[in-house]
Amino acid sequence: MVKQNYKNGGVLKKSIIWWLLFAVLMSSLPMAFSLGTLRIFIFANFIAIFAMSWDILSGYTGYVSFGQPFFIGIAGYASAILTSHYALPLYVSMPVAVVLTMVAGTLFFLPALRTKGTYFAMVTLAFMEVTYHLVQVVKPGITGGSRGITGLPLLVTGAVANYYLSFFSMLLVAICLLAIGKSGIGTVFDAIRMDEDAVKSSGLNTTKFKLFAFMLSASVAGIGGVLYTHYLGSISPRGMFDINFLFTILIAALIGGERSIIGPIIGAYFLTFLLELLRPYIPGSWRYLFYGMTALVVYNYFPKGLYTMITAAGDRIRSGMKRGEQYDSKAS
Amino acid sequence: MNSLLELIPSIVNLGISMIIQVVLQGFLISGLYALIAVGFTLIFSVGRVMNLAYGIYIMLGGYTYYTLFQVLEFSKVISLLGAVMVGILFGIITYYGIVKRLLNNPIAVEISTLILAVVMQAVIILLFSPAPKAIWPIISGTTRVGDILVTWNIFFAMVTSWVVLGALLVFIKKTQLGRAIMAVSMDPKGALLSGVDPERINILVWGLSGALGALAGVFFASYTQLDPTMWVTPLITAVAVVIIGGVGSIIGSLVAAHIVGFMETITTTLIAPELRGVFTLILIILILVVLPKGLFGKAEL
Repeated sequence: MVKQNYKNGGVLKKSIIWWLLFAVLMSSLPMAFSLGTLRIFIFANFIAIFAMSWDILSGYTGYVSFGQPFFIGIAGYASAILTSHYALPLYVSMPVAVVLTMVAGTLFFLPALRTKGTYFAMVTLAFMEVTYHLVQVVKPGITGGSRGITGLPLLVTGAVANYYLSFFSMLLVAICLLAIGKSGIGTVFDAIRMDEDAVKSSGLNTTKFKLFAFMLSASVAGIGGVLYTHYLGSISPRGMFDINFLFTILIAALIGGERSIIGPIIGAYFLTFLLELLRPYIPGSWRYLFYGMTALVVYNYFPKGLYTMITAAGDRIRSGMKRGEQYDSKAS
Repeated sequence: MNSLLELIPSIVNLGISMIIQVVLQGFLISGLYALIAVGFTLIFSVGRVMNLAYGIYIMLGGYTYYTLFQVLEFSKVISLLGAVMVGILFGIITYYGIVKRLLNNPIAVEISTLILAVVMQAVIILLFSPAPKAIWPIISGTTRVGDILVTWNIFFAMVTSWVVLGALLVFIKKTQLGRAIMAVSMDPKGALLSGVDPERINILVWGLSGALGALAGVFFASYTQLDPTMWVTPLITAVAVVIIGGVGSIIGSLVAAHIVGFMETITTTLIAPELRGVFTLILIILILVVLPKGLFGKAEL
């Protein structure tokens, strides 16, 4: 049934309609919400980009990275230094920063040739921590030391413009990654997660595919990182290379549901809004406790994430409706 | 020329005193690191999982001791025991609450324990405020070795560490229960077949790990200070020790703790104090890329 639909392009058409609806709905948000709420949406969009960059690497290929902030920070710092210290314009600094991030991605790729699972996760965590220390010590005149760099040029000003920029970047990244995920490449990524040796023995060069996954993840994180840095207008070591930042990205991807690209978007929105909705009822630090507890419970009891739960519920409703139709036609 | 020649003895003197300082500081800090890492190694050996909430036992130990001793004014011994009890309790809670359900999936355990660590950080902030707190030395006073000032506190930490590690080694090698732990760490299925209850061993190991973490935490906190993010540094030290020492060897982690401790001391004294964590992290990366089994590891992973 599903296969036939796919052949006819039915599913594809349907999903295009859904994406268009989503885009129109999200584009109309600035009319409905205050600037403060819009800023929350902007933050959610960025977290979604970061979570997707984690998903395409770790969700698909199974190489779980604990160092995604490393990519984001490298991109942010590269662009920040190029604009503040070398006075380069943004349209030069940003692409250069993204390319540099992809070069940094090969640093992650080297240990992935030898290690897997826990050990790979620890290497990436070590990379993040080492950069946190080095950024403060090596050439503090350029990196701004532990205080970081402030007063960076902004890409666009105002909440509305920033909202559109962040949302459409997020949408573009999502569609590209989704297309890759659904293509043959995505299937190979999946297969690498399940049994790398089997993929190798069927004649595919897994190293090449892994390298592509790392480059893809690094470039998405890099794009998100430069946009985020030039949205904030400042960058600091603790803001970037931090376990709490990693935690936010990781649980957005996991709670939304890994290996789906759409899941991390749902996760990012869900968690950002959970935190905001709680603001009037629960004071300050209690919110973070509640946030963490929610993450722990959802991850432990619904390990497949919200996206799978939603689609499963949708399927059940649809099949229920179909059964109802059959019943109706029989009755008439 | 003359003045240059006169300088030589003082340079030699400086060199010798520096060597003494590095050796002394190295042994003192390495003792503390061995104590920090051993609880972490224990869990990794038995369950093959990295417990990223381990840093929380260290932090809880420090904060419990602070509360009992400095706020409620109990005696030192009671405060220390209280800290260890909290550690045991929290270790067993981690096992039952999270780890037991996910044991066949190490990455899931690591992510869950990381989330737990961040949650506990929020709890500590709520209970104690984010401001750092000073903890009084457990043994006050200082002594001089040559020109170098050594606090009795860190010396006591090192001695405790050696005593605890020795006791642990005897426990694991000589007692029935200890050998059962070793059996599970070598081959869980084989251990099960020869009548070892893995459930019992797991509870024992997680409780023991919590106790060791909390005990190390009291010393670590009195060596540095208490604050809600203090769990990250000792956790990374423990990860480094496990990775350098390899799986399933207490002697290996003892040697690894000394490698890490001496490397940090040498960096602090000779290069720059800000870089002290960097070389440890670079060593983690290098070892994992070049020798994924660690320097002393024999088990496959």
